[in-house]
Amino acid sequence: MNEAWRFFLIFFGAAIVSNILLIRFIGLCPFFGVSSSLETSIGMSLSVIFVMTMASSVSWIAWNLVLEPLGVGEFLYIPAFILIIASLVQFVEMVIKKTSPPLYRAMGIYLPLITTNCAVFAAATESVKPGFFTKLNIAYQYGFLEAVVYSVGIAVGFSLVLIFFAAIRERLEDAPIPRFFRGVPIAFITAALFSLAFMGFAGMFNL
Amino acid sequence: MDWDLVWKALISLAGIGLLLGMLLAVASRRFYVEVDPRVEEVLKVLPQSNCGACGLPGCEAAAEAIVEGRASVKICKAGGPAVTAEVARIMGVEVETDTPRVARIHCKGGIAVSPLRAYYQGVSSCRAADLTGADKACPFGCLGLHDCADVCPVNAIMFDKQGLRRVIARKCTGCGLCIDACPRGLIELVPANARVISRCKSKYLGKKASSVCRVACIGCKKCEKACPKGAIKVENGYATIDYDLCDGCLECAMVCPTDTIEIWAEMKWHPEGGEFVVPPK
Repeated sequence: MNEAWRFFLIFFGAAIVSNILLIRFIGLCPFFGVSSSLETSIGMSLSVIFVMTMASSVSWIAWNLVLEPLGVGEFLYIPAFILIIASLVQFVEMVIKKTSPPLYRAMGIYLPLITTNCAVFAAATESVKPGFFTKLNIAYQYGFLEAVVYSVGIAVGFSLVLIFFAAIRERLEDAPIPRFFRGVPIAFITAALFSLAFMGFAGMFNL
Repeated sequence: MDWDLVWKALISLAGIGLLLGMLLAVASRRFYVEVDPRVEEVLKVLPQSNCGACGLPGCEAAAEAIVEGRASVKICKAGGPAVTAEVARIMGVEVETDTPRVARIHCKGGIAVSPLRAYYQGVSSCRAADLTGADKACPFGCLGLHDCADVCPVNAIMFDKQGLRRVIARKCTGCGLCIDACPRGLIELVPANARVISRCKSKYLGKKASSVCRVACIGCKKCEKACPKGAIKVENGYATIDYDLCDGCLECAMVCPTDTIEIWAEMKWHPEGGEFVVPPK
């Protein structure tokens, strides 16, 4: 397996084959919460890509330089990663607020919301423990670059599905749906069908 | 007990925490953004519930918008007049409080006074009935179906015993949703303290108007002449009252030969059906 091909597999596997929203069902709250309009979902997607990449790479460093050498990673990874994600989001928010007010306005309220997003935590965890949430026993440790590619893959998969879903929901607004199903119920049904479609990728390949 | 492991855990977590804390402390100095002190003050008086009724994402965004002048000081609906007054004080502007407005249906021609020319059996909707020409002889009157009542979020639109739709003023919030629902454009927002109301929008004049409805505005212009303030204009065949000028002297209602202009004090809903009018104080 040459280098580029391995990176491609990691990326594609994270983004599509084991998509975080539709296959692993992690991070469903923003999936239903901010998918009601295309504009907000794009803002959310941008923030998620940004934060997930940052959080996973810093978590990978903390795991490989501090937690694992000291032998405390196995039981300390949850508080440590949450600490990292929360402070990182704060830090990023400050930097963006100072350096790029338009970007800050575009990301708006979604940036602090991501602090408590389980998808970010899942990406950080899986970049140091591959296959942790898919219950796959993968005896493989990602290198730093691989971990970054992996988390970008998860974030891109998240964004892709979120934006597609927002586009579908905007169309659902005008569709002749029975009154009982309007709003969130039809969104759940649509998400289930969407998930079934993505299950077609299952087992294609995985890392 | 493995104290070694406990120490390692404590030190590593504390180390990470300290490092990140220092990073944040430095960042908060380095990347400090000057904000208008009024934003902070306005934010303090806002309700802090982040309800989003103003259309902005949360109270903080609303405070920024108010200070930057992108939003009116009246934007906070949840806080009501008290918050508006506080915000206005901080921003140093005067607010004039609007008189509340309620929707009124400008048609008085019920079944007793306005004859039917046909029997409508189609889809039960004013919009559909209007396309067919409808059952009512008057082509401008209220069809008495339920398009306006369907969109009313507070159920303020009821039947009166004349088979017309009526707005119950004390329930109406003045949202104006029914205005677009009426295919004949009969509904308008009127100040809640208005004393008179012209309840016809018939474009017919004289005999032609009264032949399709006994209480139709015939466009005689008596009210226009009687009004001491010049608040009434007869245009397109019906009288329109300008409530900015009207002082509620009721002269127009006195001279109106067809009783189209009505004294509107407080109309109360009668449990037996219909409305009766409480005489003005």
